[in-house]
Amino acid sequence: MKKYLTIIIVLILTLLLVSGCENNEAGRQQKITIAEQYGLAYAPVQLIKELKFLEEANPNLEVEWKQLSNTTSIRESMLAGEVDIAFMAIPPFLIARDKGMEWKIISGLSESPLGLMTNRGDINSLADFKADAKIALPQPGSIQHILLSMAAEREFGEVDRFDEQLLTMSHPDAMNALLAGREVSAHFASAPYLFLESKEEGIKKILSGREAFGGDFTFIIGVSTEEFYEQQPKNYAYFLNALEKAIEFIDGQPEEIAEILADNYNLSQTEMLEYLNWPGMTFTSEIKGLNKFIDFMAAESYLEANNYQYSELVFEKNLAGSENISKEEAVQNEE
Amino acid sequence: MKSKYKQRIFWGIILALIWQLTAVSGIFSKMIFPGLDQILTALFDSLKDGTLIKQIGFSLSVIAQGLFLATITALILSLTAYFSSYAAGLIDTLTALAHPLPGIALMPLILIWFGSGKTAILIVIIHSVLWPLILNLSTGFNSIPDIYTLIAKNYRLNKLEFMYKILIPASLPYFISGLKIAWARSWRALISAEMLFGAINSLGGLGWYIFQKRVFFDLPGVFAGIIVIILIGIAVEDFIFEKLEAKTVQKWGMLK
Repeated sequence: MKKYLTIIIVLILTLLLVSGCENNEAGRQQKITIAEQYGLAYAPVQLIKELKFLEEANPNLEVEWKQLSNTTSIRESMLAGEVDIAFMAIPPFLIARDKGMEWKIISGLSESPLGLMTNRGDINSLADFKADAKIALPQPGSIQHILLSMAAEREFGEVDRFDEQLLTMSHPDAMNALLAGREVSAHFASAPYLFLESKEEGIKKILSGREAFGGDFTFIIGVSTEEFYEQQPKNYAYFLNALEKAIEFIDGQPEEIAEILADNYNLSQTEMLEYLNWPGMTFTSEIKGLNKFIDFMAAESYLEANNYQYSELVFEKNLAGSENISKEEAVQNEE
Repeated sequence: MKSKYKQRIFWGIILALIWQLTAVSGIFSKMIFPGLDQILTALFDSLKDGTLIKQIGFSLSVIAQGLFLATITALILSLTAYFSSYAAGLIDTLTALAHPLPGIALMPLILIWFGSGKTAILIVIIHSVLWPLILNLSTGFNSIPDIYTLIAKNYRLNKLEFMYKILIPASLPYFISGLKIAWARSWRALISAEMLFGAINSLGGLGWYIFQKRVFFDLPGVFAGIIVIILIGIAVEDFIFEKLEAKTVQKWGMLK
């Protein structure tokens, strides 16, 4: 028995030691970590990075950019305290908020066209999808998945009609598979993949994000943890200003932006400009469609609660405007 | 035997207690360190609606197929290598080339060649299982004392008789430990392949279950999936491998 006791004590001590280390992380005050993702809808964030808006506002501020491949890993690093600010679609934000993650929305970032693209001649609408036709999208619970569920619910009354034929793929992989005509029959694409695919022969769009949602909606929002908001209000304010500046800049001078960001996206300047001006591509801090997402996702039990107050989801200091504006929009969306 | 189970249960309870105490103490937020109660509820919920059972069945059947194919191939290859030094050179080179390659590194190639269906997962499993099995079998064959082969010569056994009566039984401890390694590695290969490929048919297996729980931010569910894998691992180790050893190598006095 004595032996066992010693081992237990050692185990407990190790545990305490490990937890002790966690708390020693002081001196983070002058550092802000932002997760970036690849995609046209994140252009204002790229602008903040390229033009060093944050460093300009406070030269002492250390800005770290983290490249993470998908929303899930971004969420996990935010939970681990490694990332302060990130950008993603509304549904993945809501799913984690619903599970108790302490984070809120800073601002809207962009609206963007989305589309379900197919390479099959015999598919002209959702009804033509047979059970063997695979649909590629980033992951279950992503905005593409929720939009597809919304369309399935509206057209067939079955929210999970396509759930068994989904393939989890990143956008670049899915685009390659779609163009090669192997493995996948359709891809729920975002920009710029949507634009590249729509230029290819034999590939057509059978459903747009707008049709699926039944109105306009914000594609990407900026989010931050409550911990960061409360403990580093100054840095939060710097970021808020930088974001406002970037969104205004991108809205006002797309030519100049195209020049700055073309290399970043590996596109020519003309292509970049074409994509930035693509119909439906809007950079705005408004948040549209939040309530409709909540209502749908709660009704289909992707979320447990549906009675969220605006202030539980959006920080008091934000760029999106106050609650009243958003409610009016919700009404407009319903119509 | 009995004291082993007692010990296992004892340590299991201690570890569970430490886990639960850590969870309750609130050192870590509930979001990153769920309590056992949450994990078990998640496990029972998934078991109740039947999908998890099907997913376990699916994973096990893929592993069984992969292990079966890999074992047959490994036996054939290492026997050929034992009898022919030319083949031995080739198989040795192949093993040296392929053994250190993680299945995940081959994933892009496998995707292009075999698509993302069940075949792809089988290939990943066979790849991660075949080479350690061959290594173990060859070591087993080559470490048979000379006296055994001399006895075979004395009795004028032909190659087939030599194989069945001497070579395979004499190297069985190596074969069984190879199988144990293969079993553990096949799980790793399966889960990582499933998490990478996504659902491979309408169901998907345990890896898909864990992935789904992860994207829906359900950490207790992730742990539930891990617990299922652990339980299956222990069950197979205790009931299948131990029985196999008791009936063969232990009975023959080759292993304590």
